[in-house]
Amino acid sequence: MSAIRVDAKVVMLGKESVGKTSLVERYVHHRFLVGPYQNTIGAAFVAKPIQVGEKVITLGIWDTAGSERYEAMSRIYYRGARAAIVCYDLTDSSSFQRARFWVKELQNCEEHCKIYLCGTKNDLVSGDRSLRQIDYHDAQDFAEEIGAQHFETSSKTGNNVDELFQKVAEDYNSSAFEYMTEETSVDLGQKKDSYFYSCCHNN
Amino acid sequence: MDAEAPRAAVSWENGTLAPVDHLRSDRADSPTPGLVEGTEPGAGQKSAMFVRAQSFEDLTAESEELIQREAQLDKPIESAEELEVLVGEKSIEEQHNNDVASENRTKEEDVSSEAWRSHRKHVFVLSEAGKPIYSRYGTEEALSSTMGVMMALVSFVEAEKNIIRSIHADGCKVVFLAKSPLVLVGVSRTCQSDKELLRELQYIYYQIVSLLTLTQLNHIFQHKQNYDLRRLLAGSEYLTDNLLHRLDRDPGLLLSAVTCLPLPSSTRDVVSSSLQAAKAKNLVFSILLAGDRLVTLVRKKDQFLHHIDLNLVFNLVGSSSSFREGEGWTPICLPKFNTAGFFHAHISYLEPASDLCLILVSTDREDFFNMSDCKQRFLERLNKRSAYQSLKEALKCPSYSVEQVGIPELRHFLYKSKSSGLYTSPAYPVVYQTDEEQERLMGLYQDLHSRLHHPTRPLRSLYRCTESENLMAWVTSGFELYLCFSPLGTKALAVSAVTKLLKWIRKEEDRLFILSPLTY
Repeated sequence: MSAIRVDAKVVMLGKESVGKTSLVERYVHHRFLVGPYQNTIGAAFVAKPIQVGEKVITLGIWDTAGSERYEAMSRIYYRGARAAIVCYDLTDSSSFQRARFWVKELQNCEEHCKIYLCGTKNDLVSGDRSLRQIDYHDAQDFAEEIGAQHFETSSKTGNNVDELFQKVAEDYNSSAFEYMTEETSVDLGQKKDSYFYSCCHNN
Repeated sequence: MDAEAPRAAVSWENGTLAPVDHLRSDRADSPTPGLVEGTEPGAGQKSAMFVRAQSFEDLTAESEELIQREAQLDKPIESAEELEVLVGEKSIEEQHNNDVASENRTKEEDVSSEAWRSHRKHVFVLSEAGKPIYSRYGTEEALSSTMGVMMALVSFVEAEKNIIRSIHADGCKVVFLAKSPLVLVGVSRTCQSDKELLRELQYIYYQIVSLLTLTQLNHIFQHKQNYDLRRLLAGSEYLTDNLLHRLDRDPGLLLSAVTCLPLPSSTRDVVSSSLQAAKAKNLVFSILLAGDRLVTLVRKKDQFLHHIDLNLVFNLVGSSSSFREGEGWTPICLPKFNTAGFFHAHISYLEPASDLCLILVSTDREDFFNMSDCKQRFLERLNKRSAYQSLKEALKCPSYSVEQVGIPELRHFLYKSKSSGLYTSPAYPVVYQTDEEQERLMGLYQDLHSRLHHPTRPLRSLYRCTESENLMAWVTSGFELYLCFSPLGTKALAVSAVTKLLKWIRKEEDRLFILSPLTY
């Protein structure tokens, strides 16, 4: 079994039941599971290779639990992350408040982390406009204000999901390039950005 | 129903079946199973995997409340009338009861409905300020005044320097368990004893502690007495729901033990040693499960896992599909190990559609990639030695049929080896195929169990005839055995069956138990 190299750490953040797991599930396994809602316990990690131009970049995606219980642990998941997908539910205004909280948290603790604001459950609002509680333009304004990318996705239909992760990978690719050209010295702190496993942790 | 059931207590002299001074080294030479601890079929050859678990006394013994209660054992409060003796004012107690009733009627439909009231077992968890934390049925909001009354009852009796244990009224048992900062209340229409119900409440308590740690619980309530704990427990209700469901169905929770996947010992040894080799500095326990059966467990030297903690891990893994998405990484408190802190568990299935789930418990929350690496190394070793294939083969028949034992009229049994904390039990036969029938059989076992472990009049053995089956139970210092025969069975047959069964288990113990647990 060969070692899996993870290039970019990506963290999913957002209020519980906004659909972080469904988004990952759709992107990684191309499926949407119907059935009773199941919370994520702690966090789930999955590595997904993605083609960017001629390169293959492996995203290490951390799907975190939205429950307040795990809030104290969240730092270990977003520390060193190159991208954070902050999710909110288009049909739940309180989830947008929670998204603002996460954005602030990231701005304070993880300034190198790029933020992707993601409104989920787009299929619900396109079916019934009255369900929408978060206006597209309000979210767009907020995204511009914080310098984030903004997406509206549906894990049920798959709408915009691949585009979101593709953008994450492309941004990583171009920033990694800049990073390499700008910095000539070795930054030891940066080690956390790419994890190697199955190769160097043997005790 | 207790009084009607004809039963007789039978007891044996120690040693009728085997000499008590049976030594471990004799095991291979003699097929006769020993009765004493350490020599019984299924006893581990080296050291135990678990914390010494003397069946369920272990569960209740250390609770402070019980020690205090022990002092009052001569006059247990077993009816509303007797409560009077303790409380002094029956009228007040009755008034409370009326309050509960009227309160229920004026509430939202769901909790005032007949259907809600007629559930067999309710469980409520509240804070010491009387705030609802969990209810098995109905919403906590709708039940806030009911829980207020429960708390009032607890504090009222406490004010008199006493402890409320239970109220028996109208075919209902109301059992109280105060575990500061929580209060747990069980309301049951089943024939389970107070002690059994209390044991179940303890499990619920430990379930909550495993999510938050006791330190965090105390901290929260010291700072804000009327904190709404549901905020922190949000999304975990189904773990508690599922645990309650298991308590009705899983013999492991009744026996304070776990069961193993039947596996040729050569395969199990390879799996265990592969797991043993995949170690890391902060790794404390490696547990491989197949559904809700243990395949193997490797632990750090001198560190033991308690069966309650292991059953909580079983419940966590069994309740959630969340670990199938990827590699899970979650803080978990193992309350019997340490109520103060979190371990961090790497939880993942060996293959997406497999039943085999690996749990690696580390002390370091930064250890995810180390644990992930341990898993890879384990898989590589397993594949190299082709043990993986035979393990998958064994998964196809995770149980065995009672016919294999070859005892006529024997329908089902539970056998627990006390020194290893493991039990074995055949698949349910055709007569117990429905959930309802299985729960009824479990109910019978629970009844036998509570009689054997009666706090003041414990029994060594028991034979009981009911309309639909004959039951026998026997406990020695080495094992606990519960047998279910068809109604055509006789006592003489049952007695001879025991010897035969013990011999069979001895013969099969390599396959049914983990005889040589490993450490890193």
